[in-house]
Amino acid sequence: MRTAALVLAALTVAAPAVLTAQATPGQEGTFVIRGATVWTGAGQTLQNTNVVIRDGRIEAVGPNATAAGAIEIDGRGRFVYPGMIDAFTPLGLSETGGISTMNLRSEMGEYNPHMRAVVAINVDSDMMAITRANGVTTAITAPSGGVISGQAALVNMAGWTWEDMAVKQTAAFVLNYPRQPSFRFGGGNPAAERAAGERVAGQIRELKTVLSTARAYDQQRAAGSDQTDLMYEALRPLVRGEVPALVSADTEDQIREVVEFGREFGIRVIINGGRDAWKVRDLLAQNDVPVVLGSIQSTPASDAPYDAVFAQPGVLHEAGVKFAFSTGGGANARHVPFHAALAVGYGLPKEAALRALTIWPAEMFGAADQIGTIEAGKVANLFVATGDPLDIRTQVSELFIKGRRVPMDDRQTRLYEKYNARPAGN
Amino acid sequence: MIRRRIGRAGAGMVLTAAFALAAPVAAQDIAIRNATVITIANGTMENATVVIRDGKIAAVGRDVQIPSGIRVIDGTGRYVMPGIIDAHSHMAIEGGINEGSESVTPEVIIPVRDDDQTIYRALAGGVTSALLLHGSANTIGGQGAVIKMRWGQPADSLHFEGAHRIVKFALGENVTRASSSAPDSLRRFPKSRMGVEQTLRWWFTQAQEYAAEWQAYDARRDRNAVPPRRDLRLEALADILSGEIKVHAHSYRGDEILMLMRVAEDFGFRINTFQHVLEGYKVADEMAAHGAMASTFADNWGYKVEANDAIPHNMAIMADRGIVVSVNSDSGERVRRMYQEAAIGMKYGGMSENEALKMITLNPAMQLGVDNLVGTIEVGKQADIAIFSAHPFAPETHVEMTLVDGKVYFDRNEAMTLRKLIDGARSITTTEDDR
Repeated sequence: MRTAALVLAALTVAAPAVLTAQATPGQEGTFVIRGATVWTGAGQTLQNTNVVIRDGRIEAVGPNATAAGAIEIDGRGRFVYPGMIDAFTPLGLSETGGISTMNLRSEMGEYNPHMRAVVAINVDSDMMAITRANGVTTAITAPSGGVISGQAALVNMAGWTWEDMAVKQTAAFVLNYPRQPSFRFGGGNPAAERAAGERVAGQIRELKTVLSTARAYDQQRAAGSDQTDLMYEALRPLVRGEVPALVSADTEDQIREVVEFGREFGIRVIINGGRDAWKVRDLLAQNDVPVVLGSIQSTPASDAPYDAVFAQPGVLHEAGVKFAFSTGGGANARHVPFHAALAVGYGLPKEAALRALTIWPAEMFGAADQIGTIEAGKVANLFVATGDPLDIRTQVSELFIKGRRVPMDDRQTRLYEKYNARPAGN
Repeated sequence: MIRRRIGRAGAGMVLTAAFALAAPVAAQDIAIRNATVITIANGTMENATVVIRDGKIAAVGRDVQIPSGIRVIDGTGRYVMPGIIDAHSHMAIEGGINEGSESVTPEVIIPVRDDDQTIYRALAGGVTSALLLHGSANTIGGQGAVIKMRWGQPADSLHFEGAHRIVKFALGENVTRASSSAPDSLRRFPKSRMGVEQTLRWWFTQAQEYAAEWQAYDARRDRNAVPPRRDLRLEALADILSGEIKVHAHSYRGDEILMLMRVAEDFGFRINTFQHVLEGYKVADEMAAHGAMASTFADNWGYKVEANDAIPHNMAIMADRGIVVSVNSDSGERVRRMYQEAAIGMKYGGMSENEALKMITLNPAMQLGVDNLVGTIEVGKQADIAIFSAHPFAPETHVEMTLVDGKVYFDRNEAMTLRKLIDGARSITTTEDDR
């Protein structure tokens, strides 16, 4: 294994420009990846193809595409994929667990649509550096808590500032639809259950009142009112259907209620979680409601088939439901392709799995014109790998975010190199 | 050695829930034909046959005659490997139970339950054995249990005959914060890593004295002498000193791993296996010299401060420095996909495929003291076997079948799957429409 490290070191030395770029979010310049197999995400896998990157964008893709004076990257025997997306994380807002000051993800109160995750992103988060090194270039960073937690951002995993990193500053509103608490020892206390039910009904009425008010506010503002309320101002793109709501729902009842809620208020809803989405797959397909799947690395309900969580993406795909994968975590967001692999093991076609990691979340969050595929004109978020990114054994060898060639080292590789080099007997 | 040991049964609570009433698994001789067989011990053989008789592996190879009259499983396109062994699990007990009232409780033995669905889900992930441990609230905790996934059998029949007696130690944050919500005057000692070391030294000093008293008494061979007062806690500690009970120590940081090894060396015993051991890579040479093994997470970090320096290369560095490394689940979720966890060893630090596979087969078997019985596909070993639809590290893989003692305990063809549930619902709808 020390020999493997030496080979890796040799590879790094062969590209001295990378070393000088290590302290930055990446090396700027014009690049040609030459002779690779390119999975475009737009329906094609191109053999022996070049990808030209200039000024942060993909300039050309083709067998003869080239650029004078470009930095050459040998892609022969390698594979190029669009940067992968984890569709629900706390990345940039949360760091080490157990330390409250490192996990400032929730604000006071129930209605915080004006809270913006993007402004609180720690650019130098170790978790983001570790995430991107596996080809996960972009993630939804979401606030939490309350009924409307705030605005989730779609952000790249490298950049100088949060403005530089943001693909969409407001990608979705995070909405925790009030739900009945589950009574594990059901029937024990009917009065308490009734009280909880009434409390939840009250919360739903309140949410609907907030949104009705937001609609009225939007109309007044459109009609020229100059009275500003920051909370209702923030909700305008939501009630106009310009920005979707990422609404938590897991059970059949919850999902039906959320779909109906979206219809009632003209809100574009994305189901967040969707544990039992397979039960309402036709409803979701008919209403064009996509799903951000909760972590595949979770156990099914006790009465569900043992493979329910693994097999669900394949079932949703067959029914025509669009979905994206999410880890829900920060430290292990780099595993998102391995979540997709579990779904492939239980029936999801590989092609669909790759789309659910790239173009589908880009579409859900209104960023498909910028990222999600390898096509001329798009932002150059992509990576070069030794094989299929769903295969854990695959190594990512080059990473581009916004056309910058991002260094592959992080806190973990530095610790590895330090201790792997420890002389025996010292 | 102290002879008056507590009985090993320990099956405290035997709840027989409805779903534990699986059909009885019949003993049967089986041949798996024309499969790719990952033996772990002797490489990987294509188009090979495995013959199972009386619950044991009777033959492995390409030119193996299948005895007539036995059940034949077609392994075409499939991968056969030793059943996966999980060296750190909280299944089949009452969650992460802790006897947290005191910091030293080695006399406690965890009860095994047979009604935990996790056993079935583990089987469905190719797992055949596990070490059950309680939580990590105690510096010296209680004794765990090694089980086989004999789903549907009563709790007493789950115990893995021949496995080590194992006690759980714990270091670091979990032990020291165990009573952190209590007012200072009511807090339990220790509340620092320094106190953890002295807790260990104080108790093992007592145990040495206790063992010496019994030795002196036994040496007198005087039937009229008054025996020393029996103390179950010190008796268990004395069994740890003698090596009769093996130590598995929950640990994170390099400093505490080194400390525990030095304490053990001072008292003349050895740490069998460090659990979690996320900074094992920082003291790998010291661990190898001590003779400790390591059972770790593949890639799990940042969930608390002492997990900040965890790196996925940990497995590769430790293995490279001569440590027997396993990757464990510590979770009813991860136990279903331990093959993915093992593959991470190849991704970070460049382990070979066989080294990576050993981390969920032979290596954990060594840590639980059952490597002479399971962990490889070799003639004479118990037929604990997982059959995969593709290479266990390939993304398109899933477990088709899992055998324990040569009996099929999981068969995806027989299992209720999401597809079958949906197809069943569809056929009911069709029937109604036809009316």
